[in-house]
Amino acid sequence: MTRLLDTAFVALFGVVLVAAAVFLIVPIVMTVLMSFDGREYLGRFPPPVLSLRWYTAFFFDSYYMVALRNSAMVSTVAATMATVTGVTAAVLLDRYRFRGREALSAFFLSPLVVPTVVMGFSVLMFLSLLGLYDGFVRLIAGHIVITVPYTIRTTLASLVGIKRSLVEAALSLGADERRAFREITLPLAKTGIVAGAVLAFALSFEEVSVSLFLYDPPSTTLPVAILGAMRSQFNLTLASASVVMMGVTAVLVLVLDRVFGLDRIIGAGIYRS
Amino acid sequence: MRLTRGAVLLLATVLIVFLGLYVLPLATLVRESFKVYRSGRIGGLTGTFTLANYAELFTPAYAAYFLDTFRIGFIATALGLIASYPIAHFVARGRGRIRTLWIALLVAMLFVGTLVRAYSFALTFGPVGVLLPVSRFLGVSPNSLTLTELVVIAGLLHYVIPLMALTLVGTIHNVNPALEQVAQSLGAPRWKAFFTITVLLSGRGILSAFLLGYALTISSFVIPMVLGKGIVLFATNLIFNRFSELAHYPGGAAIAVVMLLLSFLIIYGIVRVVSRRLEPA
Amino acid sequence: MSAVELQDVVKRFGSVTAVDALSFSVRPGQCVSLLGPSGCGKTTTLRLIAGFEAPDRGTVRIAGRDMAGRRPYERSVGLVFQDYALFPHMTVEENVAYGMRQRGVARGEIPDRVRRWLEQVRLVGFERRRPSQLSGGEQQRVALARALAIEPDVLLLDEPLSNLDAKLRQELRLELKALLGSVRTTTIVVTHDQEEAITLSEHVIIVNRGRIEQQGAPGDVYGRPRNRFVAEFMGRTNWFTGRLTQTTGPGRWRFESEAKAVFTVAHDAGREGLAVDVAVRPERMGVERDAANGAASADNRLSGRITVGEYLGADLHHWVRLESGERVLVVEKNVGQSLDPAGTPVVVRFDPSGCIVLPASGAAPADPRGGHDRAERP
Repeated sequence: MTRLLDTAFVALFGVVLVAAAVFLIVPIVMTVLMSFDGREYLGRFPPPVLSLRWYTAFFFDSYYMVALRNSAMVSTVAATMATVTGVTAAVLLDRYRFRGREALSAFFLSPLVVPTVVMGFSVLMFLSLLGLYDGFVRLIAGHIVITVPYTIRTTLASLVGIKRSLVEAALSLGADERRAFREITLPLAKTGIVAGAVLAFALSFEEVSVSLFLYDPPSTTLPVAILGAMRSQFNLTLASASVVMMGVTAVLVLVLDRVFGLDRIIGAGIYRS
Repeated sequence: MRLTRGAVLLLATVLIVFLGLYVLPLATLVRESFKVYRSGRIGGLTGTFTLANYAELFTPAYAAYFLDTFRIGFIATALGLIASYPIAHFVARGRGRIRTLWIALLVAMLFVGTLVRAYSFALTFGPVGVLLPVSRFLGVSPNSLTLTELVVIAGLLHYVIPLMALTLVGTIHNVNPALEQVAQSLGAPRWKAFFTITVLLSGRGILSAFLLGYALTISSFVIPMVLGKGIVLFATNLIFNRFSELAHYPGGAAIAVVMLLLSFLIIYGIVRVVSRRLEPA
Repeated sequence: MSAVELQDVVKRFGSVTAVDALSFSVRPGQCVSLLGPSGCGKTTTLRLIAGFEAPDRGTVRIAGRDMAGRRPYERSVGLVFQDYALFPHMTVEENVAYGMRQRGVARGEIPDRVRRWLEQVRLVGFERRRPSQLSGGEQQRVALARALAIEPDVLLLDEPLSNLDAKLRQELRLELKALLGSVRTTTIVVTHDQEEAITLSEHVIIVNRGRIEQQGAPGDVYGRPRNRFVAEFMGRTNWFTGRLTQTTGPGRWRFESEAKAVFTVAHDAGREGLAVDVAVRPERMGVERDAANGAASADNRLSGRITVGEYLGADLHHWVRLESGERVLVVEKNVGQSLDPAGTPVVVRFDPSGCIVLPASGAAPADPRGGHDRAERP
């Protein structure tokens, strides 16, 4: 009897795993397949005929293309500025010991706790108060604040991994603190910095909630455009647009893995914990 | 090394960024939540102070939205936990190709992005997907509240399972695998060893993973927006509606402040749970 | 003028005094070791000399100059870290050249100088390799070359051999000694391993809790320890606590232990009734199975029984419980003899001059194994 229960348990375990895997994969696979649907209308799954019509529709639609260009621009600028800010903060936290350092570190990482809707709304309010109505500026501002904690984390993770003895060796060989930082610390922290930048770009690229509050028609980003289209015309161009977005993110994740290693990303906590 | 003058300058720059993009905006938000709202106006009346926006949240109409958010979030997180733990256990303890595939799957799902996820579910569980068969199977109308809630929960699950699974991998990793084996050698069947040893020892990790998942589900926006079809509304959706449709900034701000406080509270709870682990046994 | 001189150096970390009024000097070209257990302050002393810490009190002088206020890069100190600390993103050549570049050595001269130093450590041809491609021993040699390349006033080695496995350690020990001998830079070796200290250096400074217990040539410190700590730190010891009862000749005394074991010791400053601790190194003792043998020699003879024997390949360890009750360890070289079964009656034999006599410290006799309370063996 115990043996039976035991086997049942292990079987159940396996069932849960398989079910979860199916559950996770199916919607995505379905989207990808439907994006190649040859029919002109939105018909039942599975598609009987395959074609690239929806991709053509996507890439030839100026509505989406302008949005894609906007997204690329906003995300590049935001990621760059977030990286600069993040690296500065990380270096300060790593090198210097001062009172309140722990509190400061928690403060720098706290934007992770704020719901993105709240963040978007508050940035909008504040920038409106300042009279800043330009959509691009607002978007970049909002995207910076939600991605900076990630750039800080990955950079810090890299910095912490640098043995103190390396810097001390440089000092004993005649390099002063600034040279040691430039020639030893910074090059060794490169992976963390690049990982942070790539992560920031990926997060900014797919960001919806914050963008919804901060955009204006000329600065519509791709996710916002897709969302808008979802409410007005639910057709399969959305599917191809989604697959394109997934593709971009996939490329970025691969780059991230190459540069930094995904297990380190998880250790550095992309999912705030 | 203590702060040099150059360091102070750099620190000030970073602080200005945080101040301008983070602290002051949130402060503005809080201030706005106390302003009086006049319909037709964009934003609240300057210089006013009222608690009406918060009081309104306790009325049954609005309280219901919060309760819905908490209830659905809870269900999604709880179910997610039940699914995530076995996955995490497999990844933490397993070896070989399937394990690597699982890690790749989890990470890929994390990076899929909320919008794509929401759309995929809208497609899969929509009219061209499994919606009609499922609704017929359950005996409810395709537009019913129950079914819509189920779809929202499913969407949230897809969001929260990879997250919690990856969090739990670390926790289970910290539980010595030898303990389970020792229990088995002492006579406990695998399921008993599993529950009484591994699960129990990862208790704190489970709790903090749950809290994390919960904080994220109740703050979720796109999934309830797209999949809720207007029938199911989360507090976050309410904030957006007030902003975009009514220009009821004070009301939106009040909800936003409440959600902010809740999130901080939950994360604080996680910190407490985790740090208790470090106390001597 | 000494190459390195510390005078009354004190360093505290919070409530802990790591270095307690430490004073010593090192002659130019000399190789000394700072030897002591972990936490004794030797690493702190190293860091004080290198400039990573500043003393709370006292002075550190290198080549006669007071180093107060001088940062590490303003001192001429070559440091070899325990983990070697080779720059992972630079080649071997760039590592060795690093110090020279900082000191403004002409670009054109650097490759030649690097090669010269790589020759010294026998790593010619490794210029383009990266630290990750080197073995532990090779990494250490690069670290040495890098430190020596700046031609420092003093070379500091932090536990140079502790990261290596036993066999490699022996090989590198000889190499290191030869290298240090040929460059003749003033060297300070910091270590917790007494074997490392007495093989590498000509002068051993034993540090405990921030203070110097004893310093001297390796032979002195091993054969004539000044106190219990030094005696036990330098090697295994059998202890007897008791009194000197009467003299049996110039420098010879009869000793009676608390357990009533009686034998002769050599001691110059003896006095009747003096309470003493007597240490006898296990390798200075021998075991005889035939009690009647050698009765005429001047050696001390104590009878007892074997409790347990250990076969260690090159050595044999005999644990003997003496008639008087004390337990001693006798270490013999393996010359083909076999271990005796437990209970065999034996005679433990040792020369009076092999006894180290120290003033009684009041501490309980320690097991020659060092701190581990062994369970009673039959």
